[in-house]
Amino acid sequence: MDRPIKTLQDKNSYLDLQKEKRITLLEVLDRALDKGVVISGDIVISIADVDLIYLGLKVLLSSVETMERLRGTPFAGATEEPT
Amino acid sequence: MNTKKAKEGLIYLYCITDKVPKLKEIENLVDKPYFIYHQSLYAIVNKVKESEFDEENLKRNLADLEWIKAKASIHEKAIEGIMKDACVIPFKFATIFNTEDNLKAMLSQHLKEFKALLIKLEDKEEWGVKIYCNSEKLKENLMQEDEQLLNIDKEINSSAPGKAYLLKKKKEELLNIAANKKLNEYGQVSFDRLKEKPTGVRINKLLPKEVTERNDEMILNSAFLINKDKVGDFLNIVEDIRAKYTDKGLFFDCTGPWPPYNFCNPKKGKIHNG
Repeated sequence: MDRPIKTLQDKNSYLDLQKEKRITLLEVLDRALDKGVVISGDIVISIADVDLIYLGLKVLLSSVETMERLRGTPFAGATEEPT
Repeated sequence: MNTKKAKEGLIYLYCITDKVPKLKEIENLVDKPYFIYHQSLYAIVNKVKESEFDEENLKRNLADLEWIKAKASIHEKAIEGIMKDACVIPFKFATIFNTEDNLKAMLSQHLKEFKALLIKLEDKEEWGVKIYCNSEKLKENLMQEDEQLLNIDKEINSSAPGKAYLLKKKKEELLNIAANKKLNEYGQVSFDRLKEKPTGVRINKLLPKEVTERNDEMILNSAFLINKDKVGDFLNIVEDIRAKYTDKGLFFDCTGPWPPYNFCNPKKGKIHNG
């Protein structure tokens, strides 16, 4: 089977291919709006504000619990980042 | 006082790094980002207008998805431009300071944590893998594989209507149980393989179909922190599990490299992940 990544060059072209579709609303909500360092700056979007965005989308976020219900049990070894 | 402040604008913080950042032009952005140097850290920032980003206007704009998409895209591109050449700590969308002094005070306050974090993130990339499941396809596969289900199918065909009805009910129940079991197995095997190479693993909340805009259900939303020299191995593992489970009804969405949004969570202090 063809391996997608052989050299750095291949890797770069792989990255170029996905570049355009990457910054989707999905990824925006999932990363820049939800993660990243939160500091007590002068103005910061709070979790409540992010919830408002979802309200605007008329959706409710499913939680990890939903995933666990769907799958029966949680994945073993699903941990926070090790330090 | 207010009029003076309005002219000055607000300071929007994208990310920080400890190397001289190479600043790049960003599409749809008139002002190029610039940096503020303070105590060995470079904060990559931009001037933004009060009419868009002060507390009141920001709240209003957050109800506008098109606005969010456009601004979040600038946020992402600004950070990606810097992270091509340097290790970065990405900040959450719309982290705003009234003055440069306030930003510097924040940098001083968290200097130790930021420096430790930059060491931890050095030479690493964040990648994301979202796994989706098409339960119809999963069940179709099971109907062809599972002996118990195949037997019950035969029995239904040779039974009187009353009994066939009850057997069909039973089949449905068994199929759901079997599908759950398989989904758990595929998910666990995939996840175990995905975490072989990374140094950091995060599982995030699942996103609903309205956000994913897909017909299948998200079953895993994960982020990985990977040493740059292991990224190739990681992507090969993604291809392996993709080859193994695509026909069974799973879909793998692998994206990266991302700024390490999911891995800038120091143990102590006021900084935390959203």
